[in-house]
Amino acid sequence: MILKGIGYVDEGLQIEERQNVAFASILARKNQNGETIGELIGGSLREGPLTTILGDTVYIGTGPGSWLATSSTKATDFADNLATKLAGRASVSDQSGAYCVTRITGDRARHLLQRGVAINLHPDVFTTGCAATTVIAHIAVVIWQIDISPTYDIATFRTYSPDFRHWLAHSWRSF
Amino acid sequence: MSRRAEGGLVDRSKPLRFTFDGRDYQGFEGDTLASALIANDVKLVARSFKYHRPRGILTAGADEPNALVTLGNGAYRTPNTRATTVPLYDGLTAVSQNRWPSLAFDLLAVNQLASPLFVAGFYYKTFMRPAWFWEKVYEPIIRRAAGLGSLSIQPDPDCYDREHAFCDLLVIGGGAAGLAAALTAARAGLRVILADDDMWLGGSLLGERLEIDGRQSADWALDRTRELAGMPNVSLLTRTSVFGIYDGCEYTAFQQLSNDGAPASEGTPRQRLWKIIARRSILATGATEQPLVFGGNDRPGVMMASAVSTYVNRFAALPGRRAVVVTCSDSGWQSALDIQSAGIEVIALVDTRATEHSLASEVSRRGAKIFLGARVRDAFGKTLNRVEIELIDGSIRSLDADLLAMAGAWRPNIGLGAALGAKPVWCESLQSFRLADTPPGLVAAGAANGHYSAAAALTDGVAKAVEQANELGRSITDAPGFQTSEQLASAHQTWGTSSSRTKAFVDFQNDVTDKDVQLAAQEGFVSVEHLKRYTTLGMATDQGMTSQLNGHALLAEATGRTVGEVGTIRARPPVRPVAIGTLAGMHRGMHFRPTRRTASHELAEALGASFVDVGQWKRAQWFARLDEEDWQDAVNREVRQTRSRVGICDVSTLGKIDVHGDHAGILLDRLYINGFSQLAVGKARYGVMLREDGHVLDDGTVTRFAQDNYYITTTTANAARVMQHIDYARQVLWPELDAQAVSVTEQWSTFAIAGPQSRALLQAAFPDVDLSNMAMPFMRAMRFRWNGYEVRIFRISFSGELAFEVSVSAMVGDQLITYLFEVGEQFGVIPYGTEALGVMRIEKGHVAGNELNGQTTAADLGLGKMMSTKKDFIGRIMAQRPGLIDPSRPALVGLKPIDRTDALRSGGHLFAEGAPFSPANDQGYVTSSAYSATLGHSIALGMLAHGRERCGERVVVHNPLRGGDVLAEVCNPVFYDPEGNRLRG
Amino acid sequence: MRIVCPYCGDRDTEEFIFRGEALGRHPGLNSDEYAMFEHVYHRTNLSGKTSEHWYHVQGCRNWILVERDTLTHTIYSARLAKDGES
Repeated sequence: MILKGIGYVDEGLQIEERQNVAFASILARKNQNGETIGELIGGSLREGPLTTILGDTVYIGTGPGSWLATSSTKATDFADNLATKLAGRASVSDQSGAYCVTRITGDRARHLLQRGVAINLHPDVFTTGCAATTVIAHIAVVIWQIDISPTYDIATFRTYSPDFRHWLAHSWRSF
Repeated sequence: MSRRAEGGLVDRSKPLRFTFDGRDYQGFEGDTLASALIANDVKLVARSFKYHRPRGILTAGADEPNALVTLGNGAYRTPNTRATTVPLYDGLTAVSQNRWPSLAFDLLAVNQLASPLFVAGFYYKTFMRPAWFWEKVYEPIIRRAAGLGSLSIQPDPDCYDREHAFCDLLVIGGGAAGLAAALTAARAGLRVILADDDMWLGGSLLGERLEIDGRQSADWALDRTRELAGMPNVSLLTRTSVFGIYDGCEYTAFQQLSNDGAPASEGTPRQRLWKIIARRSILATGATEQPLVFGGNDRPGVMMASAVSTYVNRFAALPGRRAVVVTCSDSGWQSALDIQSAGIEVIALVDTRATEHSLASEVSRRGAKIFLGARVRDAFGKTLNRVEIELIDGSIRSLDADLLAMAGAWRPNIGLGAALGAKPVWCESLQSFRLADTPPGLVAAGAANGHYSAAAALTDGVAKAVEQANELGRSITDAPGFQTSEQLASAHQTWGTSSSRTKAFVDFQNDVTDKDVQLAAQEGFVSVEHLKRYTTLGMATDQGMTSQLNGHALLAEATGRTVGEVGTIRARPPVRPVAIGTLAGMHRGMHFRPTRRTASHELAEALGASFVDVGQWKRAQWFARLDEEDWQDAVNREVRQTRSRVGICDVSTLGKIDVHGDHAGILLDRLYINGFSQLAVGKARYGVMLREDGHVLDDGTVTRFAQDNYYITTTTANAARVMQHIDYARQVLWPELDAQAVSVTEQWSTFAIAGPQSRALLQAAFPDVDLSNMAMPFMRAMRFRWNGYEVRIFRISFSGELAFEVSVSAMVGDQLITYLFEVGEQFGVIPYGTEALGVMRIEKGHVAGNELNGQTTAADLGLGKMMSTKKDFIGRIMAQRPGLIDPSRPALVGLKPIDRTDALRSGGHLFAEGAPFSPANDQGYVTSSAYSATLGHSIALGMLAHGRERCGERVVVHNPLRGGDVLAEVCNPVFYDPEGNRLRG
Repeated sequence: MRIVCPYCGDRDTEEFIFRGEALGRHPGLNSDEYAMFEHVYHRTNLSGKTSEHWYHVQGCRNWILVERDTLTHTIYSARLAKDGES
């Protein structure tokens, strides 16, 4: 059983709950897109279910004209700063309280995740920089791949996170 | 013991102990329970469903209808398991089913005497009179006699998990055609998944004496398995049954991981549910040999010829000593040779066809008499001891035998392929139904496609793989070829015998005889679908694999049609029985669905809260103290203390949505009945949303934080529905508006602080913020920072007291609530739960979910004046339909019991005093009720016809379900502080 | 059943909420009563190819206009509803 705030390490698998991660949702305003919004923060935001990394912030494509921005910087100012920078071109809402993030890495990471998602995670079609907003065991998740180990980050809503941990423990059990 | 000294795929160096009906036996690794029983001369394994006839093992696979046993004990007890598909394991315990007191001496076999009563459809004609006998006599008897095995009734101790897989080609079945197809595709680099329900790949190759590329067929299968296992683009799934096919190229399968009837090793699930998305698939599920219909064809000792071959070849087990083989196909001759090679004497080979066979000299050289154009009439013996055959000239011959191997025609296992609307067609040359249409992406190959010889199956497997690869844009130019030894495969099925003296069975598991089929036809059930349901033919766990074809053919005969004209039934998933646990996976017990907890949950637990389920949420219902008698005491105290001092309630479960954009206000104007585009920044306003049909959808509070930024709340239950509604409005209805919306329900923890001391409490908690009535009047909102985190305070009141709602990031919600209770101690703060919350809002006549029940309009609820006449909004037009503005409609009223000690109950219906309780006189219903600690008696809100004009009238609250009718007075729904003075202080 | 969401890709229908037949142009909030009644209640309910609205609630949260055959379940197209009919 994985305990809150503590990681788990096993052969080919490392699971860690990341603490103090800031989140903000970005919704493009009318006639704006990833490029026009990106101009204000130093780089174009890729359209589609992909990640764009600008500085220490990762922008995850979650829908047409919508991104979830995430960073390990101080949570309390993140959304406000972003809202100020993007004023007029995008609508920003703080979501730092809304999500918990779990990082899974190792040889078995993909297999573990494949148990939960009905999306093909094979490296031929899903690799570093790819993202998906989907569902695992009736729980909404946002997944993005960070490197080819493979390493994935999975964001779940705070109140669903205990049940997500239970799914992780249940699925990892039968390796 | 009937085990050959050598040969077969069993490992004689690994003996395994098992018990059956309490007796100890031994088998080997590689045995199934059935093969081990046969090797131990156990002939009798079950009693049949209706007639309790003694039964033995009929087949060697998943088509087994008879040998159903119960494995294991206690919570691991698994009934109705086919002995033919259970790999033997050390310590296996099995018992036979459906017999009392024992298998050998079953008293319930007396059913056989009453068998004329038990013909098809008997339950439609019997057990009817006298009517009262049903509950007291018939039903209990039937219940005891029904079913085969029984469950342990204990919770399932096993766990189950789930996997998803994606591939280019899913090959269903790992026999000759499946292996050939998988190899062809895999060697060409396609991603292949090969699934087979047996413990090894090879299918019928494992039970035949055939050579492929110079190797024995079983060894060849093993070689190919190794080859496939070594390829990174191939997944091999054994003990895996593909049971469903669905739109979108989706397949479901279950994989057996542990042994049924025994605990699994730590961490091992019993079964795994696979969801496979395959761009293309090949159905290589083989074919099933069909029984012949003659008297006594269900006797223990009567077996399928190919099964006998499998037992002697693969398992080195001998099902008998003196055999008769009856066949209408070439494979029956091959089986006769297999039987003879194993050392069993074949006294006679009866071929229903009249033509001389090429293997005749070989078979008769080994001692068998050949009878052409003959048929079996009857088989006798509690276990088989005698067979009567009718020769071509009509004469009868009696043969002493303990084994009768019957070989009917082969029937392609098209099960899955006939789902999704693909209708099987009759093929005259095959004497069976086959697939013409197939589900998108699927093709049949091998025996499943009517190619019965190994050579033809291998070739077809390769060809179909090439075809499917082509469809995927991959061309295969160097497809493999295989050399096999000679194998013939023609058949001419005979459909039954008219001259048997004893019962001739069509469906073995449900005890359906040939007479039952004729009876059904006589009674007018001439469609195959009716035949199935009237006789229950094909409805057992074997799903008609060994019965459907004979049944359809007999029906054709009885109704003067061809089998092709009669047709066959549609199959639906699952094509194999699937355990509910497998489908449920980890979603059982508490984890059936997620449980959501608010940030104050731990603190609430520490404070003694009792929790209630509200959808997926756990909400604190009340906080009972140790000295309190019951929950009502706790609730009364919470209400009194909140109204006299201050109380805090967690209201985080409400839906919350951020609405942004230059047209955000316009969007809200169109969604709500009242206006928001003119709402001043920093102000909050109550809003009501309608559905398009004019009924109330939801209510909540809208706060404007900036020119282009609103924050709205919804009821807990409608959070998702309102978000969907808003997204529909801005994406489908008015995409031209510059308006964005996102759910922030999870972002904020929100607490209601209510009571005369609420301002003092909050002022003490946030000394740098001016919360005076001047700075923070009713319906005002403000934002500030606390320990770096944004805090929002709204001056709104659900309770009717001076009250505020405080929100902070859910990340520190627990910190805030803890802090507020610390600061609040000096003010006598108490926590209050959903019950007290409910009492207070009913006292104030505030509508909630009970009143927003989907049948009420804004006008019904007294909110008609809120409907703007200056703008359009969703639902405005439909809300004005005559039926929805009729003044006689039930309208919101308050109710007080005339006798103040009476209790009003929700759900009670309202009648005029003295009116009889009939639907015609029903004038409305009670929506919410509570004991009001503030007023000292029960109060209620309800919907009453002409309600607004009837203040002061008396009505009866009628409770037909629970009794206790109460006389009540209609009154103002705002019971407490109707001027709202306490709110605005 | 699966739907290829134009943004997210091939997904299980478990991720979607089915609203019903796509209703064509909204009659406008101040339309006459009969046009609005038709819009709220009347459905053509075709046997064959129909246009439907599905909400990708567990994905990109966009409304998708799907052309689907109600007899064969073949899905012909799936477009973002907000991009209009074309």
